[in-house]
Amino acid sequence: MEDLGITVIKVVFIWTWVLLIATLMTWVERRGSAMMQDRLGPNRAGPFGLLQPVADGIKLFTKEDIVPEKAQKILFSLGPVLFALPAFSAYAVVPFGDKLVLDGKEIILQVADVNIGFLYIVALGGLAVYGMVVGGWGSNNKYSILGGLRSTAQLISYEVPFGIVLLAVVMVFGTFSLREISLAQQGTFLGFLPNWGVFKQPLGFILFMTAAYAEANRVPFDLPEAESEIVAGYHTEYGSMRLGLYLFGEYVNLYTLAALTVTLFFGAWHLPYLDMSHFLGPISYGIASFLVFFLKTAFFLWLFVWIRWTVPRFRYDQVMGLGWKALIPLSLVNLFVTALIIQLTV
Amino acid sequence: MREPHCNVPGCDLGSDQMVGDYVTINIGPSHPAMHGTLRVVAKTDGETVIEAEPEIGYLHRGVEKLGENLTYNQFIPITDRLNYCSSIVNNVAYEKAVEKLMGVEIPEKAQLVRVILMELSRIADHQVCIGILGVDIGAFTPFFYQIIQREEIYEIFEWYNGARLTVTAGRIGGQDADLPDMFEEKWRMLKDGIRKANDETDKLLTHNRIWMDRTIGISAFSAEDALNFGFTGPCLRACGVPRDLRKDDPYYMYDQFDFDIPVGKNGDVFDRYMVRMKEMEESIKIIDQAYALYREMPEDAPLKAKVPKIIKPPAGEVYAALESPNGELGFYLKSDGSDKPYRIKVRPPCFMIYQAFPELIKGEMIADTIACLSSLNIIAGELDR
Amino acid sequence: MLKPIKKPVVKREYTFLERIYLWEIVKGLKLTWKHFTFNVRASFRPGPHTVPTCWQYPEDRRPIAPIFRGAHYLALDEKGRELCIGCGMCARACPAHCIKVKRGKPPEGQEEKYAGKTICESFEIDMLRCIVCGFCEEACAKGALYLGPDYELAEYEKGPCIYDKERLLANFRKARAEGKLKPKRKPVPVAAPEKKPVGKKAVSPEGKASGSQKEK
Repeated sequence: MEDLGITVIKVVFIWTWVLLIATLMTWVERRGSAMMQDRLGPNRAGPFGLLQPVADGIKLFTKEDIVPEKAQKILFSLGPVLFALPAFSAYAVVPFGDKLVLDGKEIILQVADVNIGFLYIVALGGLAVYGMVVGGWGSNNKYSILGGLRSTAQLISYEVPFGIVLLAVVMVFGTFSLREISLAQQGTFLGFLPNWGVFKQPLGFILFMTAAYAEANRVPFDLPEAESEIVAGYHTEYGSMRLGLYLFGEYVNLYTLAALTVTLFFGAWHLPYLDMSHFLGPISYGIASFLVFFLKTAFFLWLFVWIRWTVPRFRYDQVMGLGWKALIPLSLVNLFVTALIIQLTV
Repeated sequence: MREPHCNVPGCDLGSDQMVGDYVTINIGPSHPAMHGTLRVVAKTDGETVIEAEPEIGYLHRGVEKLGENLTYNQFIPITDRLNYCSSIVNNVAYEKAVEKLMGVEIPEKAQLVRVILMELSRIADHQVCIGILGVDIGAFTPFFYQIIQREEIYEIFEWYNGARLTVTAGRIGGQDADLPDMFEEKWRMLKDGIRKANDETDKLLTHNRIWMDRTIGISAFSAEDALNFGFTGPCLRACGVPRDLRKDDPYYMYDQFDFDIPVGKNGDVFDRYMVRMKEMEESIKIIDQAYALYREMPEDAPLKAKVPKIIKPPAGEVYAALESPNGELGFYLKSDGSDKPYRIKVRPPCFMIYQAFPELIKGEMIADTIACLSSLNIIAGELDR
Repeated sequence: MLKPIKKPVVKREYTFLERIYLWEIVKGLKLTWKHFTFNVRASFRPGPHTVPTCWQYPEDRRPIAPIFRGAHYLALDEKGRELCIGCGMCARACPAHCIKVKRGKPPEGQEEKYAGKTICESFEIDMLRCIVCGFCEEACAKGALYLGPDYELAEYEKGPCIYDKERLLANFRKARAEGKLKPKRKPVPVAAPEKKPVGKKAVSPEGKASGSQKEK
């Protein structure tokens, strides 16, 4: 058990870091989409418009906080909190690097290495839906309710394949702890492939990504807030910082999911064919592992943006169909095949 | 016939109540996906639309009445505001009607200029429609690829007579200006630009399964029903009826051009989209041919027929129509021999198409309502006048 | 009652590559990536207007056509004389009825400041009503009224939106200083009348009756 001080420092560090990246993501999303669409995007606030998120934040904070007259006040205020809280706490079990050795003390770059990390993630992912449903219901707006209902149905449908794919991953690595999974991905197998989850679970990776997009309400699964159909979905009636919390929580969710993808499928902080710990000092190794992990995460964050501005949106029933008719059977097949291979080889 | 309000028992239009098993959802008049100010009151069971009731008139400006107090030439700028995506077609449709009433045949060069400008407008209109259809189905990027090319088309309009959107092209009896000198070079570049944008839209959308799922079979309509409802234009052609006034009732010099009429099969959103995509290619072909003919004309060939300065058509009435990007755009004019029309009636293509909207979306989902509306290309300015 | 409408049922037929979603999505990703890299590279080029479609508006303006229809101006001739004679043709041509012209005589001893025998005593254009159609410019026989190059017409109050004569002349001076004076409108060639009685000479290309402006 580490002492409390280090844990607090780790919490503060990773919290600031995730917030920073989530803030930056709004900029990346806007500039990135602009560049894909032959536009320029926000480029006035600061160099390259980098201060745009700050300007947005100031705007959101200083706007009048309006509660609709017929809204249910308590639920209305509770919604954003319920949404943001799980988003912020989910990252606790996801590692952000290997370890840092300071004064002979080993600091693991992960807030909490609980041995049921998986369950924690899945549980908190399920909680996030309450924020949307409660907010949507409390707004007393038909569009909001529709958005809340859509998010519920979508989350329930996609939790299942999400969980089953995770099970397959657990079977491959033989542990529930995310740190142990990360550690297990070092080296190679079959002689030439890196020992990464994506090579051991190629189908699982695709299914996991699909489910992750649906969990994060990103295009093509952004039905709860489909702006052309139900205005803004569950946050139609929200303004000022309440809306800010929703938007922010979404990006934090993205970060968590991207980091989870890296942890499970892309070798966490490991570089292929290269063991950094052999030729780097203890401190520089810690920093390097953090950076490698972050760069991989950044790629998946970028993928979220990239896909969003490329594909159209599903329809509600098609999302359900895809979830129940394609993803769940496929993930079950994946689980079965994985079990079979493990049984035959071990 | 239909009542102005939702006539299903238990469905109280505009009410905030949720009655029974159904929920009334009020889409519009200010809603992100309503083009202009349309309003649809949809009765839904979950997400399925049981019954929908469109309300029109939120953009009614009394265009037809305005015309009765303006001289014949003065009404031209008003027609710009009908279908603002392709204002030139409206101008020409109106001028064509007045010219028919007066018995004036406009010079060949003016006809060619009109054809070129109208086909440019048609491309611009289809670009907007396809772009917005993409946006409404969640694909934002093709919209920008299309709209950038539309800006280039507007550049030609700007050099033609100084305005980009509400061009006010042409006067009774001919054209107000010649094609700009920059046209040839601009068109050469623009042609490639439009084709590239279409190609990219095609790559992003057409074969993408998400797009196909969202469009194929959505609000499909049979040719018979479409004809009964008075569909015209791409929406009718998507049902498989090759009706196009450019071929069926050739005006100006359309009978001399070689072009095809793309038709669809099912009359669903996908077919409307494909018909529009193909029509843009046909329009490019027409402009190429028209410009080749135009180039053969002498520099000082007349652009305007000899018409008096104060237009006083003989008393009588006339209906003239042409193929606008959305379908048959007709103007009915009645003259009492004075310098102002006695009555103007616009036959906008959208109005007939929008009548069928409740039938088109019955049983579809809310998301399809929006997709269907975009694919019909309902322009509120033209619908409500 | 309407005949009940039966919508045709459409069968979706997909190829295998369409069926699996991913192939087309990857193709789409490739396309957007191409645009992305192109534009990122372009935006690092020095100078304004790097991404080809974007103009950074207040600093960097799109060149407008020389015949652009913007805010009106009343032209002076080379000698600095006012061209407008106050005939009111523009007011009559205006579909929005936004022009008010008052005709008058030039003040005593100041005849050299005006090109015509009569002048416009006051000239008002209500820009809140104006629809910028250009009919006034077309109707002006003296080439005095133009729709100039200025398109920034917003004001904080209603008053300045009604352009008086001073404002219109100031607009002209501004356009002249910027070298953006509009070229004189070229009248379109008009066809020879078809049912002319024999004997009258046909209109030659030189003697084309200069548009709709000079005919009675």
